[in-house]
Amino acid sequence: MKNFDTKWQACAARARQGIPRDAQVPFGFATRVTERAARPGTTRVEFAWDRVLARLLAGAVTVLLVCAAVELPHFRDAQPLTPGIENAVAQLVWSL
Amino acid sequence: MTATDGDRLRRLEHARQGDPEASRSLVAALYPQVIRIVRSHLPVRTAEEDLAQEIFVKLFARLDQYQERSGVPFEHWVSRLAVRTCLDALRAERRRPELRWSDLSEEQSAWLEFMLVDESAPPDTAPASARELLEKLLAQLPPDDRLVISLMDLEEKSVKEVAQLTGWNIPLIKVRAFRARRKLRKLAETFKKENPNEKL
Repeated sequence: MKNFDTKWQACAARARQGIPRDAQVPFGFATRVTERAARPGTTRVEFAWDRVLARLLAGAVTVLLVCAAVELPHFRDAQPLTPGIENAVAQLVWSL
Repeated sequence: MTATDGDRLRRLEHARQGDPEASRSLVAALYPQVIRIVRSHLPVRTAEEDLAQEIFVKLFARLDQYQERSGVPFEHWVSRLAVRTCLDALRAERRRPELRWSDLSEEQSAWLEFMLVDESAPPDTAPASARELLEKLLAQLPPDDRLVISLMDLEEKSVKEVAQLTGWNIPLIKVRAFRARRKLRKLAETFKKENPNEKL
Protein backbone atom coordinates (compact mmCIF):
# COMPACT_ATOMS: atom_id res chain seq x y z
CA MET A 1 0.00 0.00 0.00
CA LYS A 2 2.76 2.37 0.98
CA ASN A 3 4.63 1.61 -2.22
CA PHE A 4 1.54 2.34 -4.29
CA ASP A 5 0.99 5.62 -2.40
CA THR A 6 4.58 6.69 -3.00
CA LYS A 7 4.33 5.91 -6.69
CA TRP A 8 0.91 7.60 -6.90
CA GLN A 9 2.48 10.74 -5.46
CA ALA A 10 5.32 10.52 -8.01
CA CYS A 11 2.75 10.26 -10.80
CA ALA A 12 0.79 13.17 -9.30
CA ALA A 13 3.97 15.28 -9.14
CA ARG A 14 4.57 14.66 -12.85
CA ALA A 15 0.89 15.33 -13.60
CA ARG A 16 1.08 18.72 -11.85
CA GLN A 17 3.65 19.79 -14.42
CA GLY A 18 1.06 19.10 -17.12
CA ILE A 19 -1.68 21.37 -15.80
CA PRO A 20 -2.81 23.54 -18.72
CA ARG A 21 -1.83 27.14 -18.04
CA ASP A 22 -3.93 28.68 -20.78
CA ALA A 23 -6.51 30.78 -18.99
CA GLN A 24 -7.53 33.26 -21.65
CA VAL A 25 -11.15 34.29 -21.39
CA PRO A 26 -12.89 32.89 -24.51
CA PHE A 27 -14.17 35.52 -26.92
CA GLY A 28 -17.60 36.78 -25.82
CA PHE A 29 -17.61 34.70 -22.64
CA ALA A 30 -17.84 37.67 -20.24
CA THR A 31 -20.67 39.23 -22.27
CA ARG A 32 -22.60 35.93 -22.39
CA VAL A 33 -22.23 35.45 -18.65
CA THR A 34 -23.27 38.99 -17.71
CA GLU A 35 -26.28 38.82 -20.03
CA ARG A 36 -27.38 35.48 -18.61
CA ALA A 37 -26.87 36.73 -15.06
CA ALA A 38 -28.90 39.87 -15.78
CA ARG A 39 -31.92 37.81 -16.89
CA PRO A 40 -34.49 37.43 -14.12
CA GLY A 41 -33.92 33.96 -12.77
CA THR A 42 -36.25 31.77 -10.80
CA THR A 43 -36.23 32.33 -7.05
CA ARG A 44 -36.05 29.49 -4.58
CA VAL A 45 -39.79 29.74 -3.86
CA GLU A 46 -40.60 29.63 -7.57
CA PHE A 47 -38.27 26.69 -8.00
CA ALA A 48 -39.93 24.83 -5.09
CA TRP A 49 -43.38 25.67 -6.46
CA ASP A 50 -42.36 24.40 -9.91
CA ARG A 51 -41.24 21.12 -8.37
CA VAL A 52 -44.48 20.73 -6.39
CA LEU A 53 -46.53 21.43 -9.54
CA ALA A 54 -44.49 18.96 -11.56
CA ARG A 55 -45.07 16.26 -8.95
CA LEU A 56 -48.79 17.04 -8.76
CA LEU A 57 -49.02 16.80 -12.54
CA ALA A 58 -47.15 13.49 -12.51
CA GLY A 59 -49.53 12.20 -9.80
CA ALA A 60 -52.61 13.27 -11.76
CA VAL A 61 -51.32 11.61 -14.93
CA THR A 62 -50.65 8.39 -12.97
CA VAL A 63 -54.20 8.38 -11.54
CA LEU A 64 -55.65 8.93 -15.03
CA LEU A 65 -53.56 6.09 -16.45
CA VAL A 66 -54.66 3.75 -13.62
CA CYS A 67 -58.33 4.67 -14.22
CA ALA A 68 -57.90 4.09 -17.96
CA ALA A 69 -56.26 0.70 -17.31
CA VAL A 70 -59.12 -0.33 -15.01
CA GLU A 71 -61.81 0.83 -17.45
CA LEU A 72 -60.22 -0.46 -20.63
CA PRO A 73 -61.44 -4.13 -20.37
CA HIS A 74 -65.05 -2.88 -20.00
CA PHE A 75 -64.79 -0.34 -22.78
CA ARG A 76 -66.85 -2.40 -25.24
CA ASP A 77 -69.44 -3.39 -22.63
CA ALA A 78 -70.53 0.14 -21.96
CA GLN A 79 -73.28 1.60 -24.18
CA PRO A 80 -73.47 5.18 -23.08
CA LEU A 81 -76.11 6.13 -25.68
CA THR A 82 -78.58 3.46 -24.59
CA PRO A 83 -78.32 3.19 -20.84
CA GLY A 84 -80.47 0.53 -19.25
CA ILE A 85 -82.46 2.86 -17.04
CA GLU A 86 -83.57 4.98 -20.01
CA ASN A 87 -84.74 1.87 -21.81
CA ALA A 88 -86.73 0.80 -18.76
CA VAL A 89 -88.38 4.20 -18.45
CA ALA A 90 -89.11 4.33 -22.20
CA GLN A 91 -90.60 0.84 -22.13
CA LEU A 92 -92.72 1.75 -19.12
CA VAL A 93 -94.01 4.90 -20.80
CA TRP A 94 -94.66 2.97 -24.02
CA SER A 95 -96.54 0.24 -22.25
CA LEU A 96 -98.78 2.82 -20.57
CA MET B 1 -5.91 48.47 1.74
CA THR B 2 -3.89 48.51 -1.48
CA ALA B 3 -4.88 50.27 -4.68
CA THR B 4 -5.68 46.88 -6.23
CA ASP B 5 -7.97 46.00 -3.31
CA GLY B 6 -9.72 49.34 -3.62
CA ASP B 7 -10.15 48.84 -7.36
CA ARG B 8 -11.48 45.33 -6.82
CA LEU B 9 -13.97 46.50 -4.19
CA ARG B 10 -15.17 49.29 -6.45
CA ARG B 11 -15.61 46.82 -9.32
CA LEU B 12 -17.47 44.44 -7.02
CA GLU B 13 -19.79 47.19 -5.81
CA HIS B 14 -20.55 48.30 -9.37
CA ALA B 15 -21.19 44.70 -10.42
CA ARG B 16 -23.64 44.34 -7.54
CA GLN B 17 -25.49 47.37 -8.83
CA GLY B 18 -25.80 45.68 -12.22
CA ASP B 19 -23.13 47.63 -14.12
CA PRO B 20 -22.39 45.37 -17.14
CA GLU B 21 -18.92 46.83 -17.71
CA ALA B 22 -17.90 46.13 -14.09
CA SER B 23 -19.42 42.63 -14.34
CA ARG B 24 -17.44 41.86 -17.50
CA SER B 25 -14.28 43.15 -15.87
CA LEU B 26 -14.95 40.95 -12.82
CA VAL B 27 -15.44 37.88 -15.03
CA ALA B 28 -12.17 38.60 -16.85
CA ALA B 29 -10.31 38.99 -13.54
CA LEU B 30 -11.72 35.81 -11.98
CA TYR B 31 -11.68 33.59 -15.08
CA PRO B 32 -8.14 32.12 -14.62
CA GLN B 33 -8.94 31.11 -11.02
CA VAL B 34 -12.32 29.60 -11.92
CA ILE B 35 -11.15 27.73 -15.04
CA ARG B 36 -8.26 26.16 -13.09
CA ILE B 37 -10.75 24.72 -10.58
CA VAL B 38 -13.12 23.62 -13.35
CA ARG B 39 -10.34 21.79 -15.23
CA SER B 40 -9.37 19.89 -12.08
CA HIS B 41 -12.90 18.72 -11.28
CA LEU B 42 -14.61 18.46 -14.63
CA PRO B 43 -17.18 15.69 -15.17
CA VAL B 44 -16.39 13.61 -18.27
CA ARG B 45 -19.35 14.65 -20.40
CA THR B 46 -19.37 18.34 -19.51
CA ALA B 47 -17.71 21.16 -21.45
CA GLU B 48 -15.42 23.27 -19.26
CA GLU B 49 -16.85 26.51 -20.63
CA ASP B 50 -20.42 25.47 -19.73
CA LEU B 51 -19.44 24.67 -16.16
CA ALA B 52 -17.44 27.91 -15.84
CA GLN B 53 -20.46 29.82 -17.12
CA GLU B 54 -22.68 28.13 -14.53
CA ILE B 55 -20.27 29.14 -11.78
CA PHE B 56 -20.24 32.79 -12.88
CA VAL B 57 -24.03 32.92 -13.15
CA LYS B 58 -24.28 31.54 -9.60
CA LEU B 59 -21.65 34.04 -8.50
CA PHE B 60 -23.65 37.01 -9.79
CA ALA B 61 -26.88 35.59 -8.34
CA ARG B 62 -25.25 35.34 -4.90
CA LEU B 63 -23.05 38.41 -5.03
CA ASP B 64 -25.21 40.13 -2.41
CA GLN B 65 -24.49 37.30 0.04
CA TYR B 66 -20.77 38.04 0.05
CA GLN B 67 -19.72 40.41 2.81
CA GLU B 68 -16.23 41.86 2.91
CA ARG B 69 -16.54 42.35 6.66
CA SER B 70 -16.82 38.60 7.38
CA GLY B 71 -13.06 38.29 6.88
CA VAL B 72 -13.27 35.82 4.00
CA PRO B 73 -11.31 37.12 0.98
CA PHE B 74 -13.43 37.45 -2.15
CA GLU B 75 -11.18 35.09 -4.15
CA HIS B 76 -11.60 32.45 -1.46
CA TRP B 77 -15.38 32.86 -1.53
CA VAL B 78 -15.28 32.41 -5.32
CA SER B 79 -13.09 29.29 -5.04
CA ARG B 80 -15.49 27.76 -2.56
CA LEU B 81 -18.46 28.49 -4.81
CA ALA B 82 -16.59 27.01 -7.80
CA VAL B 83 -15.60 23.84 -5.93
CA ARG B 84 -19.15 23.32 -4.62
CA THR B 85 -20.60 23.79 -8.13
CA CYS B 86 -18.10 21.32 -9.60
CA LEU B 87 -18.99 18.82 -6.87
CA ASP B 88 -22.69 19.20 -7.70
CA ALA B 89 -21.87 18.61 -11.37
CA LEU B 90 -19.86 15.50 -10.50
CA ARG B 91 -22.71 14.20 -8.33
CA ALA B 92 -25.20 14.84 -11.13
CA GLU B 93 -23.20 12.59 -13.44
CA ARG B 94 -25.46 9.56 -13.74
CA ARG B 95 -22.84 7.06 -14.81
CA ARG B 96 -19.11 7.11 -14.38
CA PRO B 97 -17.19 6.06 -17.49
CA GLU B 98 -15.83 2.52 -17.40
CA LEU B 99 -12.05 2.25 -17.59
CA ARG B 100 -10.91 0.00 -20.43
CA TRP B 101 -7.43 -1.07 -21.38
CA SER B 102 -8.01 0.14 -24.92
CA ASP B 103 -8.67 3.64 -23.55
CA LEU B 104 -5.10 3.90 -22.29
CA SER B 105 -2.31 5.18 -24.47
CA GLU B 106 1.11 3.51 -24.37
CA GLU B 107 2.44 6.25 -22.09
CA GLN B 108 -0.52 5.97 -19.71
CA SER B 109 -0.02 2.17 -19.55
CA ALA B 110 3.61 2.80 -18.67
CA TRP B 111 2.55 4.99 -15.72
CA LEU B 112 0.09 2.35 -14.55
CA GLU B 113 2.83 -0.25 -14.77
CA PHE B 114 5.09 2.00 -12.72
CA MET B 115 2.43 2.25 -9.99
CA LEU B 116 1.70 -1.47 -9.81
CA VAL B 117 5.00 -3.21 -10.43
CA ASP B 118 7.70 -3.08 -7.77
CA GLU B 119 11.19 -1.92 -8.69
CA SER B 120 10.02 -0.08 -11.78
CA ALA B 121 11.29 3.36 -12.68
CA PRO B 122 9.00 6.28 -13.50
CA PRO B 123 8.48 6.46 -17.26
CA ASP B 124 10.04 9.34 -19.09
CA THR B 125 6.91 10.74 -20.68
CA ALA B 126 5.22 14.10 -21.09
CA PRO B 127 3.42 15.30 -17.92
CA ALA B 128 0.12 15.33 -19.82
CA SER B 129 0.07 11.52 -20.06
CA ALA B 130 0.47 11.16 -16.27
CA ARG B 131 -2.27 13.69 -15.75
CA GLU B 132 -4.62 11.95 -18.19
CA LEU B 133 -4.09 8.60 -16.48
CA LEU B 134 -4.78 10.10 -13.04
CA GLU B 135 -7.93 11.76 -14.38
CA LYS B 136 -9.12 8.44 -15.82
CA LEU B 137 -8.50 6.67 -12.52
CA LEU B 138 -10.08 9.48 -10.49
CA ALA B 139 -13.15 9.42 -12.74
CA GLN B 140 -13.86 5.92 -11.38
CA LEU B 141 -14.20 7.20 -7.81
CA PRO B 142 -17.36 8.57 -6.18
CA PRO B 143 -17.54 12.39 -6.53
CA ASP B 144 -16.61 13.25 -2.93
CA ASP B 145 -13.57 10.94 -2.96
CA ARG B 146 -12.48 12.26 -6.33
CA LEU B 147 -12.72 15.85 -5.11
CA VAL B 148 -10.61 15.18 -2.00
CA ILE B 149 -7.84 13.42 -3.93
CA SER B 150 -7.82 16.04 -6.69
CA LEU B 151 -7.53 18.85 -4.19
CA MET B 152 -4.87 17.19 -2.05
CA ASP B 153 -2.72 15.39 -4.61
CA LEU B 154 -3.13 17.38 -7.81
CA GLU B 155 -3.59 20.86 -6.37
CA GLU B 156 -1.43 20.27 -3.27
CA LYS B 157 -4.00 21.71 -0.87
CA SER B 158 -3.60 21.04 2.83
CA VAL B 159 -6.37 19.32 4.80
CA LYS B 160 -7.24 22.68 6.34
CA GLU B 161 -7.56 24.30 2.92
CA VAL B 162 -9.75 21.43 1.69
CA ALA B 163 -11.94 21.93 4.76
CA GLN B 164 -12.31 25.62 3.96
CA LEU B 165 -13.16 24.94 0.33
CA THR B 166 -15.63 22.12 0.88
CA GLY B 167 -17.08 22.93 4.28
CA TRP B 168 -16.31 19.37 5.47
CA ASN B 169 -14.62 18.79 8.81
CA ILE B 170 -10.97 17.72 9.04
CA PRO B 171 -11.49 14.13 10.33
CA LEU B 172 -14.00 13.49 7.54
CA ILE B 173 -11.52 14.70 4.93
CA LYS B 174 -8.75 12.51 6.33
CA VAL B 175 -11.01 9.45 6.34
CA ARG B 176 -12.23 10.20 2.80
CA ALA B 177 -8.67 10.63 1.53
CA PHE B 178 -7.57 7.37 3.16
CA ARG B 179 -10.51 5.42 1.74
CA ALA B 180 -10.18 7.03 -1.67
CA ARG B 181 -6.49 6.04 -1.91
CA ARG B 182 -7.38 2.49 -0.90
CA LYS B 183 -10.10 2.40 -3.58
CA LEU B 184 -7.63 3.67 -6.17
CA ARG B 185 -5.16 0.93 -5.33
CA LYS B 186 -7.87 -1.75 -5.49
CA LEU B 187 -9.11 -0.32 -8.74
CA ALA B 188 -5.64 -0.42 -10.31
CA GLU B 189 -5.07 -3.99 -9.06
CA THR B 190 -8.44 -5.19 -10.34
CA PHE B 191 -7.70 -3.57 -13.66
CA LYS B 192 -4.41 -5.44 -13.79
CA LYS B 193 -6.07 -8.78 -12.94
CA GLU B 194 -8.76 -8.30 -15.58
CA ASN B 195 -6.13 -7.64 -18.24
CA PRO B 196 -3.49 -10.27 -17.50
CA ASN B 197 -2.39 -10.54 -21.12
CA GLU B 198 -1.53 -6.90 -21.41
CA LYS B 199 2.00 -5.76 -20.77
CA LEU B 200 2.40 -4.89 -17.11
